[in-house]
Amino acid sequence: MSYGVSLHIWGEYACFTRPEMKVERLSYEVITPSAARGILEAIHWKPAIRWCVDRIHVLKPIKFESIRRNEIGSKVSTIGAISAMRSQSTLGLHIVSDDVRQQRAATVLKDVAYIIEAHFELTNKANPDDNAGKHLDQFRRRARKGQCFHQPCMGTREFTAHFALIEHTDQWPTSELSDTDRDRTLGWMLHDIDFSNKNMPHFFRAELRNGVMNVPDFRTLFVIP
Amino acid sequence: MILQHLNDFYYRLLEYRNPDTGLAPVPPHGFSEENISYCLVLSKDGDLLNIQDIRESNEHKIRPKRLNVPQSFKRPGTAPRPFYLWDKTSYVLGVERSKNRRASSDALWEISLKNHKAFVDLHLEWLKNQSSAELIAVRQFLLAWNPDRFSQHPFSLEHLDSNLVFRVEGHSTYVHESIAARELWLSLLTASLSEKSRLQRTRTTCLITGDKSHLSRLHPAIKGVYGGQSSGGSLVSFNAEAYESLGKTQGENAPVSERAAFAYTTALNYLLRREKGHCLLIAGTSTVFWAKADNIATEIMAIEVFSSILNPATHTLPSGSSLRTLVAKLAQGERLEDIIPELDPDIRFFILGLAPNSSRISVRYWFDGNFREVGEHLSEHWFDMQIAPLPWATTDPPSIWRFLIETAPAKKSENICPKLTGEWLRSILTGSRYPRQLLTHIIQRLRSDGDINGLRAALIKSVLARDYRKGFTNEVIPMSLDIMNSPVAYRLGCLFAVLEQAQRKARGYAKLGITNRYYSTAAAVPYSIFPRLIAAFQNCLLKVYTSNRGHAIYLEQQMISIMSGLPNSLPKHLTIEQQGQFAVGYYHQKQSFVTERTDQLEHGSDQTYQSNGTAQ
Repeated sequence: MSYGVSLHIWGEYACFTRPEMKVERLSYEVITPSAARGILEAIHWKPAIRWCVDRIHVLKPIKFESIRRNEIGSKVSTIGAISAMRSQSTLGLHIVSDDVRQQRAATVLKDVAYIIEAHFELTNKANPDDNAGKHLDQFRRRARKGQCFHQPCMGTREFTAHFALIEHTDQWPTSELSDTDRDRTLGWMLHDIDFSNKNMPHFFRAELRNGVMNVPDFRTLFVIP
Repeated sequence: MILQHLNDFYYRLLEYRNPDTGLAPVPPHGFSEENISYCLVLSKDGDLLNIQDIRESNEHKIRPKRLNVPQSFKRPGTAPRPFYLWDKTSYVLGVERSKNRRASSDALWEISLKNHKAFVDLHLEWLKNQSSAELIAVRQFLLAWNPDRFSQHPFSLEHLDSNLVFRVEGHSTYVHESIAARELWLSLLTASLSEKSRLQRTRTTCLITGDKSHLSRLHPAIKGVYGGQSSGGSLVSFNAEAYESLGKTQGENAPVSERAAFAYTTALNYLLRREKGHCLLIAGTSTVFWAKADNIATEIMAIEVFSSILNPATHTLPSGSSLRTLVAKLAQGERLEDIIPELDPDIRFFILGLAPNSSRISVRYWFDGNFREVGEHLSEHWFDMQIAPLPWATTDPPSIWRFLIETAPAKKSENICPKLTGEWLRSILTGSRYPRQLLTHIIQRLRSDGDINGLRAALIKSVLARDYRKGFTNEVIPMSLDIMNSPVAYRLGCLFAVLEQAQRKARGYAKLGITNRYYSTAAAVPYSIFPRLIAAFQNCLLKVYTSNRGHAIYLEQQMISIMSGLPNSLPKHLTIEQQGQFAVGYYHQKQSFVTERTDQLEHGSDQTYQSNGTAQ
């Protein structure tokens, strides 16, 4: 596909949190399409394009590790922030962390590496002079240089994702998965969240075949059987 | 994946029929197993005839009976929400134990009007127009009942705050088990679910089953996790603002359908019951495990085998052979499928370690693999642990808890680092590198209490051996005493043991010998301390020479052979791994002296280790 890109990403830790295990975080075994989209968007995104992830190649064996961190249990309310902006004063807008201390355990992935194959589509916010080729070039240029709007992350911001563009002529990094790990069912995995419709999450049946996870198009998940 | 596998397990359990009772081990949808103590026996007109004690007594303990009753649910807050045809005395009779008794003359029980009224109102509403005799009797009883009647016969104080069910005279089953009651309950359940569904307006995809249905806002409680609240905790919960996202509250954050929520929590509650044999308490973490095979009988056998491997005690395999030799065989490299041919190595195994964290339950580790993998990894683990002389009998190895206690300050259970348990078990089951924490904790213990016993030496050696096997280090640590090919730190440990032996021979068993005073310094900064110790050694050697010439010559030879391999200047300081090597060398050398001696009274504690076989 001419508007497709291949990006090699890797990191020391990753946490693609399962929605049901949000509190005591437990990661999915493999990067979710939504996290992959987040990484692509960190490198290049404009309202004119929408990224669609096609395939994810898993390069390293799946390893978990458990860590415990001290966090807090409350959030600053939006209303509080808005009123602080209006009144031009942050008086009263704070959290005393000692009062809301919570210790949370997290089971995260260690030493991950993936190749994301994705393409983008133009949305209805595209200008007449926007074309796919232009955005593709921009993305490639930025990915080559290592430019990004914000540092891409592996699920949560504290786990950085390093990235490198795979050019057409480059050789692809080899997968280090053993033969037994290449084929696995991963059950129902979060595909993405439909932000235009009440933040509805959508799931799909994820499977690793020969180390590759095929990601269906997001819109096919909406159809109620 | 965890919830999905639990969901599958529930449906498999539902199909199984217990050969003794003919019932499935788990209740069907809409029912839960609860502890019921007493039963109110009513006449056909609703008069109270008796209160019957239905508790069971086994092994001199009286326990409430576990019955399948219409499903219980969480009751957060103060608004009363009664259960259907059963509840505690505060709802059914309107009495409960007094909470604020100031003087001893105050009453022991008080009336809980709000709860009782809610119970009565709801039941009068549900049971009106019912024609079943039993339901009519219950209705009449509730109309006529006055909580003050609790002070009279046949009630007594021990009935307070216990769970009650109803039974009508002439019927052998409880009211809630009658056909009319069950049908009514199920229709009430579907009505309330469709009401919720209507309120939610949209159906969301359940992330466990993929079905589109109404989601469960609060999941049923999980009881039985060691150290957790008695009312149970939640595996999936969003009980503080910081855990919610995108403006969603509670269960909306993770859409799970009611049926799936019921299924996985019931399965987990079942697994956590100790007597079912699926749960082990390993150093404060409730570990549940289950298997997936073609038939349930194989699953049960696989569970038994696994349970005994993980915590060796006096278990016997179903085929009659003792499991005590199982671990020994595993360590020698025999494959699990050869030792237990009845078990298909492709049976899938699931292991979940849970620990409470206030009202939540956190997952310490999750393992999902097949039996063959488990066997291989366990065999690797015991192989890495091998140290000669073995500090335990081959047929009676210590349990996981017994090893972990060696890492805890003051050898107290509560001081075992919880994260270490999870990580160590994970590395045992998956065959990955042992947690470095294991090594550092033990080295710390050695420095503080100076007890270099066999278990600690085995643990240290296992970490170093596995690192070598996986290629993380080039220095090989021998299984038994071997001065020739060993790293410097190992030799220094052997040397320290020789010096200690000389002093012991010369001065007798001194309370403040060089071990106590100099072990941690010698292990950490050998350069500064060894020259002094070696000088002192010469003096001791002279003394030993006069009393036991042969032994003195032996000691001197040992020392020379160790020192010949040491570099000209001793290392200024040793890394943690090298300190581990030091400890192992010390253990090997020391044990070689012990086995030579005929009288072993003073060394009895560290020569052979006796496991007491009970897990914590």
